[in-house]
Amino acid sequence: MLDVIIIGAGPAGLSAAIECRKNDLNTLVVDEFPKLGGRLLGQLHQEPTGEWWNGIEEAKKLVDEAQRLNTDIRTGISVHHVAKVDDHFVVHTNDGKFEATNVLIATGAAETAVPVPGWTLPGVMSIGAAQVMTNVHRVKVGERGVIVGVNVLSAAIAHELKLGGVDIHSMVLPSKNVISADQAEPYAVMERLSRIAHLAPSAFIRFGSKFAKSPIVQKLAVKLYPKNGITMFDIPIHLRKAIVSINGTEQVESVTIAKVTPEGDIIPNSEEVVNVDFVCIAGGLYPLAELAAVMGCEFKYVEELGGHVPVHSEAMETAVDGLFVAGNITGIESAKVARSQGTVAGLSIAKRMTNDVSLDRQLDRAMQNVKTTRDNATIQFHPHIYRGRERVKAAYNRITETKE
Amino acid sequence: MKNTIVCRCEEVTLEQLEQTAKQFNCSPRELKLRTRAGMGFCGGRTCRPAVDKVLLNVTDLRPSDNVPLKVQPPVRPISLSSLGGAIDDK
Repeated sequence: MLDVIIIGAGPAGLSAAIECRKNDLNTLVVDEFPKLGGRLLGQLHQEPTGEWWNGIEEAKKLVDEAQRLNTDIRTGISVHHVAKVDDHFVVHTNDGKFEATNVLIATGAAETAVPVPGWTLPGVMSIGAAQVMTNVHRVKVGERGVIVGVNVLSAAIAHELKLGGVDIHSMVLPSKNVISADQAEPYAVMERLSRIAHLAPSAFIRFGSKFAKSPIVQKLAVKLYPKNGITMFDIPIHLRKAIVSINGTEQVESVTIAKVTPEGDIIPNSEEVVNVDFVCIAGGLYPLAELAAVMGCEFKYVEELGGHVPVHSEAMETAVDGLFVAGNITGIESAKVARSQGTVAGLSIAKRMTNDVSLDRQLDRAMQNVKTTRDNATIQFHPHIYRGRERVKAAYNRITETKE
Repeated sequence: MKNTIVCRCEEVTLEQLEQTAKQFNCSPRELKLRTRAGMGFCGGRTCRPAVDKVLLNVTDLRPSDNVPLKVQPPVRPISLSSLGGAIDDK
């Protein structure tokens, strides 16, 4: 019987594994990807301080530390079910079953799809897939493409593609329907962009500061939005153009783009056809919590955190005894926050197993560090992240009080 | 917009989802069963949030704390032999 199985070898899972091993727990880390580091591997951006954040190097630091502590880490393993049997967990994988006293789910986030006519053609991919192909596999996604969806993540990845020598024709909005909703409304997109501008990497600051924070200025900016878009890293960003369809027979050959009103409605007869060989769809991220749902965890819908998140404490425990969560499954935030949450989860698990009171102080410090990291985050995915975190904490307290 | 496919595996369009949801005043589960959206190879991993949004829009509900469509194992595509325990029996 293992002390703990950690599902996901990203920043959260690896930093948790390090704490578990420091406390001599019998630990197994599994990940379905062939390489370790999770989504850290794709990240490459410049911080406002001018420093570069190189995710591959950050991942290597964590992996090296975990390996120095003789952590059993296995790749290519998909977990398809977790069941609680008596006082332990049975983790079902494509490589058989594993049993453990504790489970940490650190599965991260998934991308939200934005259906567009023609999006099933080869050559259409999510923005995250383009990031992995470019930065991890070093495969050129195409010669010239369009990015659908304007948000902090797509802007950062557009820049990475550009650095990789890929031509980005432009970034445009998805056309409006019940699914794309506020991602297709120029006003809503502008408001979000200007709210995050002060936290985002340097080029974004220049982009956002043009529109200050006043709603009147933002509305005016949408109304008078330049016909040729606003250029960031040499990429034209259009808030008044939306994709109508992706065209091609065997693969992507072109896209049809139309002008839209400030509310996001298509302006008739404004369509233009642009020849491209790939399209990236950027619909944002949501917590990947399937396994927590299968476990019967209670959930809370928290928009600020990206959707449904398993209810958990600040110490990263769920209401299911022995089940812990860390990283983006608890809410969409930066890799640095995920890493510091992993440390908290690792210490919590060690405390449960060893009853070592000296861990209390470490745990307090680690929880404080999550907050400090959040305060200093360069990319904040949602402006009201603190409010969201408070709501989850309150939900956890309610559940545990009823239990007692 | 008529040809916007939402569920790629089962090729269910946005129009089909909206019409079905309106006509039968569906629960999330009923919408899934009537249209097969989310019941293909990927198990709804791609279209789940989109199907949820269609329902919220048609029914005018606020998102609730419960995950709209019940999540059931296996949550990843796996081989039948693996599901049957062939590896553990080795």
